[in-house]
Order: sequence, then structure tokens, then C-alpha cells
Amino acid sequence: MKLFKLITAGTLAACASLGTAHAETELELARFFGDCADAGTDIDTAVGEACIIQTIINAYSAEDNDVTVKTLPTDWGNYYDQLKAMYAGRNAPDVHVIHKHRIAEFASLGALLPLPEADLKAAGIDPADWVPRAREAVSYNGQYYGVPMDFHANLWHVNLDILSEAGLVDENGQPILPGSPEEMLAHAKQVKEATGKDYLTADFAQFPIGVRLVLAMLWQQDSNVFSGDEATVNTPEAKRAVEAIVALFDGDYADPNLNYSDSQQAFLAGEAVIQINGTWVVDFYDNQAKDENVALKRYYTADFPTLFEQPATWADSHLWALPVTLQSEPEKYEAALDFLAWLNNHNVDWARTGHLAVRESVLNSAEYENLPHRDEYANTVNIARDNPPSVRYSAIQDVLNRELQSIWLQGKSIDDALADAEREIDRLL
Amino acid sequence: MRMSSFWQSDTFSGWAFISPYLIAFIPLLLWPFFQGLWMSLHDWNLLAVTFNPDAKQFIGLSNYAQLIGGDNLSWSLSQFWPFRTVLLVGGVTMFLRARRHNRFDRGYVWTLAGLATLWLLLGIRGDWYDPRFWIVVRNTVVFVAWVVPLTTLTALLLAIALNRQGRWAAIMRTVFFFSQILSVTVVTLIWQLVYGVRNGFIANLLTPFGLESPNWLTDDQLAMGAIVVATVWWSVGFALILFLAGLQQIPGDRLEAATLDGATGWRKVVHIIVPSIIRTVQFVMIMQIVLHFQVFGQSHLMTQGGPGDSTNVWVRYIYQSAFRDSEVGYASAMATLLFVFMLMFSIVQYAVTKRQEA
Repeated sequence: MKLFKLITAGTLAACASLGTAHAETELELARFFGDCADAGTDIDTAVGEACIIQTIINAYSAEDNDVTVKTLPTDWGNYYDQLKAMYAGRNAPDVHVIHKHRIAEFASLGALLPLPEADLKAAGIDPADWVPRAREAVSYNGQYYGVPMDFHANLWHVNLDILSEAGLVDENGQPILPGSPEEMLAHAKQVKEATGKDYLTADFAQFPIGVRLVLAMLWQQDSNVFSGDEATVNTPEAKRAVEAIVALFDGDYADPNLNYSDSQQAFLAGEAVIQINGTWVVDFYDNQAKDENVALKRYYTADFPTLFEQPATWADSHLWALPVTLQSEPEKYEAALDFLAWLNNHNVDWARTGHLAVRESVLNSAEYENLPHRDEYANTVNIARDNPPSVRYSAIQDVLNRELQSIWLQGKSIDDALADAEREIDRLL
Repeated sequence: MRMSSFWQSDTFSGWAFISPYLIAFIPLLLWPFFQGLWMSLHDWNLLAVTFNPDAKQFIGLSNYAQLIGGDNLSWSLSQFWPFRTVLLVGGVTMFLRARRHNRFDRGYVWTLAGLATLWLLLGIRGDWYDPRFWIVVRNTVVFVAWVVPLTTLTALLLAIALNRQGRWAAIMRTVFFFSQILSVTVVTLIWQLVYGVRNGFIANLLTPFGLESPNWLTDDQLAMGAIVVATVWWSVGFALILFLAGLQQIPGDRLEAATLDGATGWRKVVHIIVPSIIRTVQFVMIMQIVLHFQVFGQSHLMTQGGPGDSTNVWVRYIYQSAFRDSEVGYASAMATLLFVFMLMFSIVQYAVTKRQEA
């Protein structure tokens, strides 16, 4: 009898719990930024892109909102290939990160879900709070196709110790950066003679940092790689930009053979004064500089200097988008919008990486202004530039990367490389 | 009665035996193959067609024309002259030998015709519509031309050295086969650690001597060689096992007789061992040619095809066209040409095998 009662009570309890339990909505999320081992839910202590974004995601899943976000395993280098294959296999992730420069391609083919302003507002996202550039970044044909997360741009990461050893720091302790290609070469010579160190390091061998450097120098001369359907690579402006960089290699003031990781190590090991890299490494370098085992001690972050007529630096944006397939899944759509609102609310946490925030309210907050080094590259937001939208953006960037590499790694003449690049980009456009 | 005889017939048992294979082969290989051929005749954007099946456009052979066509085509005697001279000398030698032995069978004629055609085709120059295609074809051929002989030779020598009883030989056989079980991702990771300029294995070996490590993966003179070495290390295990199996087929009395006749060392290898396992050697080489024409991971993960395009290979260009540029029609055309290329090698293997059987 006792056993019977026990079984009855147990069965009733199970039925009751089944009746009250909510089915969890699971969102599949695809992103790059790398892996974070043991990312918890403590957003405030996370460091670096991978860990900050993953703790933001984990913290959302841990909230009492009946939504679980599952981060899919994706690889940085092949992210867009994987994403396209997922879309083509009708198995797109429910929410994914995407660059501004990819919006034209994905939205024009009908892959992304337009997000009506009313739905965004209902979820607690106010597009009016986004700075105009951010609104522009997520817009295509007058509609929003995502929620912006940042602007990221190329900066000059500076080792102040070596620079002052070479006498290139002013009385206020501020770095003296060049104002022309000639001055850049003179500074490089001065550093080499005084310290024996390289002036500049960057990944010129694989990752397209070299392309972004040349693009910035083109924009500084009011030039660009294409205009409408016409490639404009083989120009005196492009030649001037490339010559300025090649002069550094020829003088042995920079090593074109280093890849991303090697150039980063060279900078941290104090073997080069300046590293050209993005906003995404600011908090990482800042943390590294505090480590006594790292040679870099006095770390400074500078806006990309104006080497020609007008200021400009390469920039892009990370955005979050939803696939068009979510249209037929209202429950997931609602959950995904709620998650986007969570990301939007954590804009300042993401900005800790070094990226520039996209919300006016965040940009004007004391929390944002007090982030390390923020005042040192405050002008970057004003000089950030990018190419006009093009569905062939990645292929164009690849052409430039290959042809520029062939100049500094294979000894191809600048004229031939620029002519070949122009021909190939013309074919792509 | 007729039905029962069918169940017992060879036809039925034949189909019964191959049906498990066909169940996988038809939907997973044959059907996608024809679908690829069909796609190669279209202007087909991967994403556009996913969301609008009518977005593709039939363009006939235009993708093929774009790939292998060009303007201002002409023929030159001097183009690629060093390589073509080697081809010419090889062809003429073959012809003279065949004439001396009066052995003009079909295999010889086809091989000579193939060499002559290749010699002629290599003289064509012009403004190619897609110069990158020819660069990746050249790189792939160079890669195969290095990897196949190096792997075959290394595996053969290792097999001869390890074809003996004893624990030491057994351990070494396992060690050399070990690399074979690794995936390309692991292999490339290992070799990136070996080639690392700052803290790589080679760099650490050179440091005590005050030497700087060369930029193995970003120097265009070294990058292809670096990939070749990694690939040989990876593929030598499989060839080694095949050679060991072949060596164990050689009758012991033949080797003994050769030893008694005074054949030792190198002469025994060249005149007795290699001719005895020549079928295995051919099999290993053809297998590797077909396999390595499909090289992708090493180029994609170790050098990203660079510097410039110096290590970009055929399959990586297919991958880039299909997924980065979404041009799956164009990529399919390229894949079809790769198939034709590999088919030619399979035919050569078939012809060689046939000739020996005859």
C-alpha cells in the first residue's frame, strides 16, 4: 500500500512538472572571433573578443527567458564559406554575425530577414540611438538588415619606450608620428639607427592588413580602388602609396614576411615600434603590457596618421543578422530579437575589446570614456572609411592582397602588379 | 521456374553483390557528378539560386570558354622551352627505342601521341581570359611532380629497410605509418609549428648556431617546397605499407639467387627488387597522382595559396569560386576539367596494366 502511494505521488508530481515546464527555444548562433575556453557568464571580467562575446551569449542563456543560445563551431578563416554553405543547404543559423561589407551581397540575394523598426522597438532596441554611420551600416535599400555591434578600424599600436629611445616623443610624452611618406621613412631610419629595431610591423604576408594600409593611403589622397563599375587601381596615387610601404621594406625598417601571429609577437617582444592592426587588440595589448614577462611596457594607441592630404583609416562594422527562414518561425524570431536586444544592451561590454561603440548613449557614457586608451584614438571614429558596397568586395580584396604580396614578397614590379590588379578587378566588376 | 532460375543466376548474384555499393555510389557520387556537369553549363550563383531557383541561366559552354579561352592566341616554339625540351627528348628516345625493338603497340602510340599533343599545347600563348586558372594548374602540376616521385622513392627505400623481422622494424613501421592516420588539419598544424619563424621547431634548432629561420611559408621560393615536404611526410605511410606488401611477394629464392650472383646494395634494388614489384610501384604512383591533384588542405591552411598565388592550387580555386565568390557554375566547370585530367591518368594506368598483362 505504501509503495502504491509512493508511485501515485511520484506520477502526479511528474505530471505536474510536465504541465508547468516551458519548452525552451533554442537559437543556433554562428560567429567568428575565435574560441574561448571555459567562458562563464561573468561578462565584467572577460578579456578579448572571443571571451567577451561568449560570456555575453552565455549570460543570456543563463537568464530566466526560456531561450538557449547554442554557438555553432565555426572557423575564422572560412566563416563566410561555411555560412554560405549553411544558407545553401537551407540550414542557416538562427542568428549570426556579419560584416558591414557583406550586407550588400547577402541582402541583395534575399538571404537576410529585413527587420522592421517597429519590431526592433518592440524588442527594446531603439535604432534612433545608433549613430548615423551604424544605421547606414545595417541598411540596404532603405531597410534594416541587422543590429550593429561596433566599428572597428586600423590603428597604430605604439611601443612608447622604443619611440622615446629614438627621440620621437614630445615633451608631453605623446608620440611623434609622421605626416608624410618621406617623414615616415626618416622616422624609420631614426629608430633603426638609435635602437636597431624595426619601425613598423604588420601582417603583410597573409591577412589583408597590407591591403587596408594601402586603402587608407589611397583615401588620404582622395582616390579609391574602384568607382562604380570601373577599377581605378593603376593610378599615380596607388603607386605613391605602395612606394611608401616598399621603401620601408627596402630600407630594412619592416619585414614583409611576417604573418599575423609573428608580427604580433614581434610587437609584443619589443622588436618593432609600431604595429598596424585593428581596434580588436587594444585590451589584449593593454593586458599584455601589464605582464612582466612581456617586453612591451608603455603601450599607446594612436589614430592612423595622415600621411597624405586628408585623414582616413580603413574601417568596417560587425553586425548581427537573422536569416530569412526565421520569417516562418515566429517563436524563434521573437527570441532572436530579444537576444539582439541583449547584445545591443551590452554594447559597452563589447567596446572593452577596443572596438568603437555604435550607440550614442554608450559613446556619451562615463563608462565608455574611461575605457583604457580610449582618448588616444578618439578621432578614429571621424576618419574611418570603407569602400562603397559591392557584392564582389571579398574577391576584390583578395586580388589586391595577392598583387600587393607579389610586390613585396615576390619582387613583381609595382606597375605590373597594379596593372594586373586593375585588369582583374575590372573583370570582377 | 523461370523466377527460381533467375534467383540462382550469376546475373542476380552479381547485382546482389554490387548493390550495397551502388546504393551509396549512385546518390552520393554519380548523381552529384551529373548535377555538377549540369551546373557547369549555367551562370549559377550559390545563394541566389538557393532563394530563387529561376536565378540560374543556361549559358552552354561559356564557363569552359572563359576558363581555357583567350584573345590574340598564337603559337611559340620558345615558350616553356626547358620543360618542352625534356618532353621532346623523352618522346624521341621512346620513339627510337620502339623502332629499334619494332614494338609499336597501341600503348606506345597513345603515349607518344599524348606527349606530342602536350608539347604542341604548351606552345600556345595569348591573353587568357582567366590567367589565374593557368597559374593554379601549373602550381598543381608542379606540386604533383614533386610529391609523387619523392613519396614513392622515400616509401620504397623505407620499405626495403624495414622489410625484416624484429621488434625494432615493427616499431619503425608503426611510426612511419602513424602520420597517415592524421587529418589534414592536424598535419598542417604540426608543420606550421615546425616552420614557425619565431618559435618553430626548425627555428629552435637553428638558434644555437646563431642562424635565423627562413620564412618557410611566406617566401615564394620556399613555400611550395615546404608544402611538398609536409605532404610527403603525411603520405609516405600508405605507400610504405603497399610496398611492404609488394616486397613480401618477392620469392625468397630470387633474392637469394641474386645475392649468390653477387648483386648487392643498390644494384639489387634497381635490377631485382624494383622490377619484381613494378606493378606496385605503378599502382602507388597512379594512386598518388590522382590523390595529389586534389590537394587542398595544405595550400589552404598553411599558406592560404600565397605569397601572391604561388601555392594556390586547382581545388582551392574551385573552392574560392564556389564559396567565396558564389560562382558554382564556373567552379563546376573547373571541377569537370580536373576530372578529365585525372581520368587521363587513370586511362594511362589502365593502358599500362593492360600492356603488361598482354
